[in-house]
Amino acid sequence: MTRKIFVRLALVPAISILATLALVSIAGAIWFALMNRTLRSPEYEFVGAYNFLRLLRDSRFFNALEISALWELITVTGTLGLAVLLSVLIYETVQKPLWRNVICFAFLVPVLLPRVAAAFIWRFMYSPSLGVINYLCGLVGIGPVEFLADPSLALISVAVVDIWQWGLFFTVIVLKLMETLPRDPIEAAMLDNARRWEIHAYVTLPMLKGPLVSLALVKAVESLRSFDLIFVMTGGGPGKATETLDLYAYQMGINMGGRISYASAMSLLLLVVTTIAFTVIWKAGKKWAA
Amino acid sequence: MANITCSNIVKSYGAFPVIDGLDLSIPDHEFVVFLGPSGCGKSTMLRMIAGLEEVTGGRIEIGGTDVTDMPPGDRGVAMVFQSYALYPHMSVADNITFGLRRQGVSRSEIAPRLEQVADMLGLSPYLDRRPKNLSGGQQQRVAMARAMIKTPKVFLFDEPLSNLDAKLREKLRTEIRKMHLQLKTTTIFVTHDQLEAMTIADRIVLMRDGEIEQMGTPDEIFERPASHFVADFIGTPAMNFIDATIEAGHVARAGSIALSLSPELFPGLVPGQKVELGLRPASMDLAAPDAPNAIGGTVVLVENMGAEGQVITQVDGAEISFVTPQFRQVRAGETVHFALRPDQIHIFDPETGRSLRGV
Repeated sequence: MTRKIFVRLALVPAISILATLALVSIAGAIWFALMNRTLRSPEYEFVGAYNFLRLLRDSRFFNALEISALWELITVTGTLGLAVLLSVLIYETVQKPLWRNVICFAFLVPVLLPRVAAAFIWRFMYSPSLGVINYLCGLVGIGPVEFLADPSLALISVAVVDIWQWGLFFTVIVLKLMETLPRDPIEAAMLDNARRWEIHAYVTLPMLKGPLVSLALVKAVESLRSFDLIFVMTGGGPGKATETLDLYAYQMGINMGGRISYASAMSLLLLVVTTIAFTVIWKAGKKWAA
Repeated sequence: MANITCSNIVKSYGAFPVIDGLDLSIPDHEFVVFLGPSGCGKSTMLRMIAGLEEVTGGRIEIGGTDVTDMPPGDRGVAMVFQSYALYPHMSVADNITFGLRRQGVSRSEIAPRLEQVADMLGLSPYLDRRPKNLSGGQQQRVAMARAMIKTPKVFLFDEPLSNLDAKLREKLRTEIRKMHLQLKTTTIFVTHDQLEAMTIADRIVLMRDGEIEQMGTPDEIFERPASHFVADFIGTPAMNFIDATIEAGHVARAGSIALSLSPELFPGLVPGQKVELGLRPASMDLAAPDAPNAIGGTVVLVENMGAEGQVITQVDGAEISFVTPQFRQVRAGETVHFALRPDQIHIFDPETGRSLRGV
């Protein structure tokens, strides 16, 4: 068997699974998006681009698009910011390997929780009457704060849960990355009069630029799939304050409207937009990190 | 510019002391080499002076200021690392000027200093490059430029040449020496290479197991090694050691070998005393069989070193080597005679390893 044939054979299982799972569903979505199917009636007809054209006149769609972009921005920067900050802090203050491992283990626990479980735990903690957070707020004379019912706070409050899960996980990764860095440039920077924060700002973190860009991308992709978290915590509310695109598509297609075709068109648009956006970001990130 | 004083330095890892009560004083402008085998504590000593390693006990002074508890950046020292330790994501220019920028020196002042240092080390064409696009020798020059531009009180070199090939090492060694002649900055240079130490140093501090075995100029260390260890460590090819007994008339005898010794150099020897003779291969040469102090042996092997050759002979079952320019006339299996002057014989106490030289 030549190498070429072996490579092809080895690729067959993965590609066939991908084809059945991804291509079939995408083809199905395209098929639905060109009809005017609803869950209420078995009758349907071919309507062409009608669903797509309607989307462009749907202000709730654009609201969802904006919320999605905002959600991406907050969760990605929040996760990486927290991870970098905490890992530098641990790197500087905790020297004993045992304590570092204990902290790392503790930081891994949140991400091991199923999203839905995390969502319920935090919904309870956020509760104005029973929640521990409002109890603490009460001690310093604030509140009760309606974290999930206040339109200006709801998105941030849900994002905090996401950042809690992923930021701590990424802290472990960044800390482990920092530990693999060669010691000499750090010592050279110490001799070069750099203060502690300057060593990290100018030496260690720039040395980790490549991995940090990759982590940001992983988190950006992951943030797109936050349906379960938002659905359990706010269901898209209050009003449309936390309604991301996938939530709106779900509401439209399954929950209230049953307008399957319209929702399919929306998810196709989401697919196209994210593919383009991520290609651009990926290319730019790679160029910047080089 | 500054002198360095280390008094009663102790360094322990856990309960285990690697350096125990070391005293050292380095005058201003001097180029000192810390020499010794791996694990003798020479790098640890250097890192403690730099402030990268905490001192368990004792004080370190640089230029009259006690720096023992100061952070590395405040000590006025600059260091060149074995691995170069360049900042990989910065250009050569940024690497060199990083320290000055951290000190808050203005850009208008940095530019001429960068130009001067880059010119001196031949780095001007590479200032915009990243370190990974430079050769090992160029990277080491960047590391030196980074140290020089700060005009420190003390230069510290931690085995800076050991990652380079032999030819480049020789070239950079000369450059470092020239740089010191020009700048006259007090310098400590750590190496395990005795040849490097001999060629570059004003003074050598030879260390072993965290203690100073001998301190002196390269000549002193080579001509008058204080112990078996020093004599063995310095000089290529390595010294021959022979166990011998002193006989009447200041003669050392070991089997067929009988060497008459200088009574002035070794006044304390008594007949019957057990000693260890140290004979440098380079001090010996071919001689007539009846020449004074001649040793006869059977040639085992001749090693061609170009201008000279090392002849390894068997004398009474032990191997003794000597160096001669006439090695091409010598064949394996032949019997040859070789000799050395009495003042070039070294004698050590077999128990303590210390030299028995009286003056």
